[in-house]
Amino acid sequence: MPPYISIGGYSDPPRIPHFSIEAEGGELVAIVGGPGSGKSNLIKSIAGIRSAGRGSIRIMGARPGTMRAREMAAFVFQNSNFAPDLPVRNQLDRRIALIRGVAVRNVQRNVADWCEKMELTEAAGQIPGQLNRSQLQMLSLAPLALTTPSVAVLDEPLTNLSSLRVSSALSVIISLLEKASVLVLVQNKSPLVKRADRVVNLA
Amino acid sequence: MKGRNTYHFRESIIILLKTKWIGPYLILPPMLAFMVYAEAYLSAHGITGIFTMEQRTVLAIWNGSLLLTLIAGIKSCLFFSGIWESSWFRNSLALPVSKSSGFWGPFLAVLSVVSVIFILTTGAVLAALPEPGRFSVFQIIAESYIPVVWAVSMGAFLGLLTTGTAGSIFFTALLLIGFLAGLPIARLPEWLFVIIPPVGRIMTLGLVFPQGLIQTAILIIHSIAVLMLGRLLYSIGSKRR
Repeated sequence: MPPYISIGGYSDPPRIPHFSIEAEGGELVAIVGGPGSGKSNLIKSIAGIRSAGRGSIRIMGARPGTMRAREMAAFVFQNSNFAPDLPVRNQLDRRIALIRGVAVRNVQRNVADWCEKMELTEAAGQIPGQLNRSQLQMLSLAPLALTTPSVAVLDEPLTNLSSLRVSSALSVIISLLEKASVLVLVQNKSPLVKRADRVVNLA
Repeated sequence: MKGRNTYHFRESIIILLKTKWIGPYLILPPMLAFMVYAEAYLSAHGITGIFTMEQRTVLAIWNGSLLLTLIAGIKSCLFFSGIWESSWFRNSLALPVSKSSGFWGPFLAVLSVVSVIFILTTGAVLAALPEPGRFSVFQIIAESYIPVVWAVSMGAFLGLLTTGTAGSIFFTALLLIGFLAGLPIARLPEWLFVIIPPVGRIMTLGLVFPQGLIQTAILIIHSIAVLMLGRLLYSIGSKRR
């Protein structure tokens, strides 16, 4: 069985000269780097929406960007997880339905319940421009909570959150570890660094 | 998996139904009414020659088609460049969606919305004006639909090639050249019509039965060519990011 996620000889000059890592199921790996260290480019390369340049990346043995890799992995980007013109809840409904492979009506109740639990019901009905960064960041974690990815890669998932929401977000991320391997790309001060099974420096 | 091929189509349709995108099409009915009135006035005063009632109906359908082509082309350039340049769209390609749906979804969404407006416009003209008699209604509608498809295809191509504003300006200029080149006073060599979209010529030839089938075929080829170029640019763009 291939590792859940493996990155070998990845480089993004001049920021990342060489980077390799393997992670297994149930493992939380914190990849630490400062601002501008190439974290956002790395998540895009893992997601297959940016050319990886040198090195190889595999998600459960599949190349990034292939349908198999995208079916098994969930990505939370630091920004721009939602289309700017549409209410967030409707986007979440369609996105989660797509990931689960079911009709939208089959997930609407789950999304509404999750938003209520996170005290985001009102916020979820708004378009992204009407929300603050903390609300948006929390809502972008909904697909992680409501689907079952094998691999989750998150770019600065706690940075914009208000202190009240950090523990909720942490519990969403920790609950993923029952079945998935989780990679978080964070700065040194992030609370996720203390919780991680392994901490790897990007540079 | 359900929705894999339709995700971007659905998202695009929902965006397109916002006032910002659908609103500009509301200027179509008053503009069309003004053009029909102006053409009747000019014809009655002998400035444009005498049009039969049949020709007036055909001309009104073509006017509607060309106005819609102009609006659809400009809005397509703005929409496509906006959506394909946006970070959320790029990030959405990390979802389990088919890669080609990122191109065809928004394209078909715009084409669907524009087609509905074309049907409503043409239906309104046919309901308000006398039947075009010896002209084949089906053929006129089919031919006048081609410039609309061309506009959306060109919008997709220009939306990938440049910014929305630059694309709209280029599109408007190209449409204007194509329109003017079709007027009877324009004297241009035949081969030039392979490069210039024959949107004006298709209209002037359409007023005389049998209608300009060759020009229609050229415009269809134009549409397919720019659409395929757009698809190619999209593939190159998504690999290079």
